[in-house]
Amino acid sequence: MKVVVGQGSCGIAAGAGKAFDILENKLNKNHELTFTGCIGMCYLEPIVDVYNNDELHRFVKVSGEIAEKIAEAVNNNDFSISAEYEIADDDKAFLSSQTRIALRHCGLINPEKIEDYIADNGYEAIKKCVTQMTPEEVIEIIKISGLAGRGGAGFPTWFKWNAARNSESEDKYLICNADEGDPGAFMDRAVIESDPHTLLEGMLIGAYAIGAKEAIVYVRAEYPLAVKRLKKAIKQAREAGFIGKNIFGTDFSCDFTIKAGAGAFVCGEETALIESLEGSRGMPRLKPPFPAQSGFLRKPSNINNVETFANVAWIINNGGEKFAAMGTETSKGTKVFALTGKVNKGGLVEIPMGKTLRDVIFGIGGGIRDGKEFKAVQMGGPSGGCIPAHLLDTVIDYKALSATGAIMGSGGMVVMDESTCMVGMAKFFLDFTAKESCGKCTHCRIGTKRMLEILTRITEGEGKPEDISLLEELCYSIKDGALCGLGQTAPNPVLTTLKYFRDEYTDHIENKHCTAHECSKLVKYKINADACRGCTACAGKCPTDAITGEVKKAHLIDRDKCIGCGTCMATCRFGAVEVE
Amino acid sequence: MQVKIIIDGKEILADSSSSILEIAAENGINIPNMCHDPLVEAYGGCGLCTVEAEGVPKLLRACATKPSDGMVIHTDSDRVKQSRKVALELLLTDHTGDCKAPCTKACPAGTDCQGYVGLIANGEYEEAVKLIREKVPLPSSIGRVCPHPCEKACRRQYVDSSISIAFLKSFAADKFIDDTSLLPNKADLTGKKVAVIGGGPAGLTVSYFLSLKGHSVTIFDQMPKMGGMLRYGIPEYRLPKAVLDKEISLIEKTGVELKNNVKIGKDLQFDSIRADYDAVIVAAGAWKSSKMKVNGEWLPGIYGGIDFLREVSLGNKPEIGKNVAVCGGGNTAMDACRTAVRLGAENVYVIYRRTKDEMPADPQEILESEEEGVIYKYLTNPIEFTETDGHVSGVVLQKMKLGEPDSSGRRRPEPIDGETEKIALDSVIMAIGQVPELSGLEELEQTRKGTVAASESDFLTSAEGVFAIGDVSNKGADIAIAAIGEAQKCSIIVDGYLKGEKLCYKKPFVVERDDSEIDYSNFIKQPRAVMPQLSPSERKTSFAEVNKGFTDEMAKAEASRCLECGCHDYYECKLVKYADENDVSYKRLSGEKHSRNTEDRSELISRNEDKCVLCGLCVRVCDKVIGKSALGFVDRGFGTVVLPEFGKKLADTDCTMCGMCVDKCPTGALREKQNIKKSLVVKENSKITVCELCEKRCPIDVRYVGNTIIRIKPYGKDTVLCKKGKFDLIEDKTLLQK
Repeated sequence: MKVVVGQGSCGIAAGAGKAFDILENKLNKNHELTFTGCIGMCYLEPIVDVYNNDELHRFVKVSGEIAEKIAEAVNNNDFSISAEYEIADDDKAFLSSQTRIALRHCGLINPEKIEDYIADNGYEAIKKCVTQMTPEEVIEIIKISGLAGRGGAGFPTWFKWNAARNSESEDKYLICNADEGDPGAFMDRAVIESDPHTLLEGMLIGAYAIGAKEAIVYVRAEYPLAVKRLKKAIKQAREAGFIGKNIFGTDFSCDFTIKAGAGAFVCGEETALIESLEGSRGMPRLKPPFPAQSGFLRKPSNINNVETFANVAWIINNGGEKFAAMGTETSKGTKVFALTGKVNKGGLVEIPMGKTLRDVIFGIGGGIRDGKEFKAVQMGGPSGGCIPAHLLDTVIDYKALSATGAIMGSGGMVVMDESTCMVGMAKFFLDFTAKESCGKCTHCRIGTKRMLEILTRITEGEGKPEDISLLEELCYSIKDGALCGLGQTAPNPVLTTLKYFRDEYTDHIENKHCTAHECSKLVKYKINADACRGCTACAGKCPTDAITGEVKKAHLIDRDKCIGCGTCMATCRFGAVEVE
Repeated sequence: MQVKIIIDGKEILADSSSSILEIAAENGINIPNMCHDPLVEAYGGCGLCTVEAEGVPKLLRACATKPSDGMVIHTDSDRVKQSRKVALELLLTDHTGDCKAPCTKACPAGTDCQGYVGLIANGEYEEAVKLIREKVPLPSSIGRVCPHPCEKACRRQYVDSSISIAFLKSFAADKFIDDTSLLPNKADLTGKKVAVIGGGPAGLTVSYFLSLKGHSVTIFDQMPKMGGMLRYGIPEYRLPKAVLDKEISLIEKTGVELKNNVKIGKDLQFDSIRADYDAVIVAAGAWKSSKMKVNGEWLPGIYGGIDFLREVSLGNKPEIGKNVAVCGGGNTAMDACRTAVRLGAENVYVIYRRTKDEMPADPQEILESEEEGVIYKYLTNPIEFTETDGHVSGVVLQKMKLGEPDSSGRRRPEPIDGETEKIALDSVIMAIGQVPELSGLEELEQTRKGTVAASESDFLTSAEGVFAIGDVSNKGADIAIAAIGEAQKCSIIVDGYLKGEKLCYKKPFVVERDDSEIDYSNFIKQPRAVMPQLSPSERKTSFAEVNKGFTDEMAKAEASRCLECGCHDYYECKLVKYADENDVSYKRLSGEKHSRNTEDRSELISRNEDKCVLCGLCVRVCDKVIGKSALGFVDRGFGTVVLPEFGKKLADTDCTMCGMCVDKCPTGALREKQNIKKSLVVKENSKITVCELCEKRCPIDVRYVGNTIIRIKPYGKDTVLCKKGKFDLIEDKTLLQK
């Protein structure tokens, strides 16, 4: 039998390493033990798949104890434990409802074995390109497919390739942007950790199309496992002759290098990424000239995101038409989302464009945790916006999402329930962008800081009536005045929350009240004397000694000392702590 | 390639390789920018050069946009202006410093105190006087009599004591009091006639400036000589009339016609002046003593303060006897009591209802009067003047105590029931204020205070073409320098009026710090110069000037104490220029402000991070032009800062001290050390020449004032100087002669 342990970063974080070690120890040697990358069901990690001929047993939430039981079951070929530890039918739908192209190998192959990749038509697409097609023909297929940049902007990929193709230069560069920085987004990491050869092959095709001899992957240094697997994959591909000189015996040569980013969010912006590649401080350049004319080392360069490249080999193998058959009028193919937040089933979701947000959040994601109400979903991370409940039937399509004020973005989908304060949410993302501003533009550097200060005072009950109009003025000024995408999109979380949840802002400002009870300075706790049993638990946990009372007598909260942290409420077993 | 574009409605044939910013500049349209310089690539950071192109949804950065045929650009649309304004406002919310020094801002006439004090410290007396005369045409007189709000604002007081700014002014001005060569060139005659009613400080000042602008000015004054209150209200021992005469004579030499002994309404009708002149400025002053509403106030032997001083100035000797009381606590009261001493009174009392701490008079004046034997009756208030043989013979004083503070913040005096005191007197001088006397000017709308109502922004009265300034208008009597300040501003507005332009006075924009934000601990204490004076005994019997004046050494040493509060880059700073032009109101956006207080002074270059706007020109010029990396950006977001590499001091980096960073810095964040006794902030003269220290012969712009070279800047947009041209050359004192 073949036993496969999901070992993406997420699986390892959940304890997959331990499960693997136990299986390695306990399994009889006649069984094959291997690993794969991210299977995509974060909420069920660690996951162990057992292939018994054609039969798949998928064990979830595999603790050390369960790992031992799995080893026993495999060794004895007795799967009576299945009912208890295998994935529930309901959860199987998480994967079966998806259409996986970019993630087509994720969770299925061993990312560190090129053979696994080759076994599924691997490197056939690049072979087809270099031996049977002109670069123009390659670009034409990509054009037919309608593939657009998956990093967020959604710019047609063929157009960028074509522009770089048409720029005359001996040296050109093909660059992969793997500087995935949005909080809550992990699609690119999953692809690299689970299927690095898909990326390499997509990049090779891109390099062939634009005429580049060098390809560079700019990847976050915070993704050590991705970097490790990518290095290994490059080595394997080079040894196999897919990378290097005269690939498939043709004139096409292309080599790869990896550049680890130093953690600046703005380096996900393509011109800042180029500056960083050149060894300079990551600060965006003015456009034009666009990288297709003057990019890395002032040479024509093309930059695409990981997920974009992950689709390319599939498109070449299956034809542009097949890709374009999926999706909507304006958005073709599939899109990967990192579904997180207050949703029941979080993980990686790849679906065809044109599905609705409801399909993803309530269908695949299984709705909201703990029976709470859905409030909004933040799309596109700090550059995106929130979409409220009444727009849940919005279709996933670049145009339709933009119309709501949010964006497709790179695929971060953070679900929020009634306990999330929308002012606080906007503040969270603005805090992120304000800190990550490179400092170049006045509007972004100081403007986001001022917006953050205003949001902070609103959440602390110090908001002024004119703050909303001041925020709006700053939002539009920053959008107009900032040089790069970071600054131009930074106001989006504020603008969309102002659009859909304006009442929450005025409630904070006028009534010093936070509906979600999340803004600690606005929450006033009290103890219901009838419900209090005088157990002293809350008093013991209170970090500021604000709670007093004798044993077995009702306790009291001292308002002056209380900082509104909510620890008492979480501690009380009798529901005696209430919010006023 | 040539393309046709339209910028602000102007059709332009432009080179397609130039930027919109450059094309606009070549065609006289200056688009604000702070981070652009032809020596380096476009950067696009400051966000000021945004323009709108028709058909393009986004705002474009003019520095980085190349023209395409048919492009229609707007550099001042509402959207552009709003974006630019917000960018400026945001920059200002994190720009820490003082554009102008507190002394200069405190002066009602806006006299550039820091400027002339610095010039005096460098021995540039003539330049100092020219600078003062830009605002005040009576500097010798004003330096002697001004209660100097400048000194009250001077930050040196937090180290030891204020700079003696006023006396430095009269010190310098006295040196050139007879020198007509200092008068600025007069503009060509305009043919316009201006009548000024009243020849006091306001009337003389407005006449001087309007005359220099080419208008024909005539002053009508009711008194025998010009000078107004300076002549008839200030005693000789403070302001010798010979000094005033000389200053008035200089004003007369600019072409102002002086007509004395003309009382409006009596000798000449206001209507006929209005008919005969293109503009009329009412500067008639406030000549009527205020009354106190006390029993017996009408008695013979009781004088109004201003009436008493006028009589003495006219050479008359009012009968005041041996025992004299002066009621009031202001500077007129001081002048009255000290004059009474000099007229031979034996007991001179000052009656004041509060205590010395609340007295509005200059403390120095109080001290000097005490030295001269004046007796102070604090916390007393006259309730009745007694009479003997139809003449005042004494006063009954109500004793007072201080209660709760009133609206002015001073503690309110309250009577103590039943406690009174009687003093026998021969005469009383009521120095409790003065109001205008408006007979002959009845047609002008008045304020509730009985002054002429005039607009605060353009000095216009209710009558067309009639302006009012000084004590006669609005809030009434004030100090002379306030009247001079209004007069100088009014001259600009009247000049505009005569040319058919409608102007308004707008206070110049400044960034400022609170006095408490500054660390004074690093300044070395050095006491204020003591003005040499006649001894009290000499003073009591003579009207000779009390103050003997500073020597050159004393003046230079005193001027050198200046802390140089105002920014050294004021006249070069783009930020303050644009802020002033764009009507910014940045306070609404204010928040956390950097106050790093880490001034890095190398031998030749000083850095002040608190004034940096992150334009990056220093970093880029150093890197791309000089090929060094002495400066770089550190940190991200709001905390981004330009620092020398690896946290070193600038002098410890690979900096070559070429000073190009200083010359490219749009604000005062980087500045060169001035190789002179006291660093100057003045409008500099410019002399274009070449540096001859090597065969490259770089074109240079030598900035100087008088005989003092302040700095050398590269001349021309492509010039790159080295340390030799920037700094070493200054040592060559013959540079200016060349």
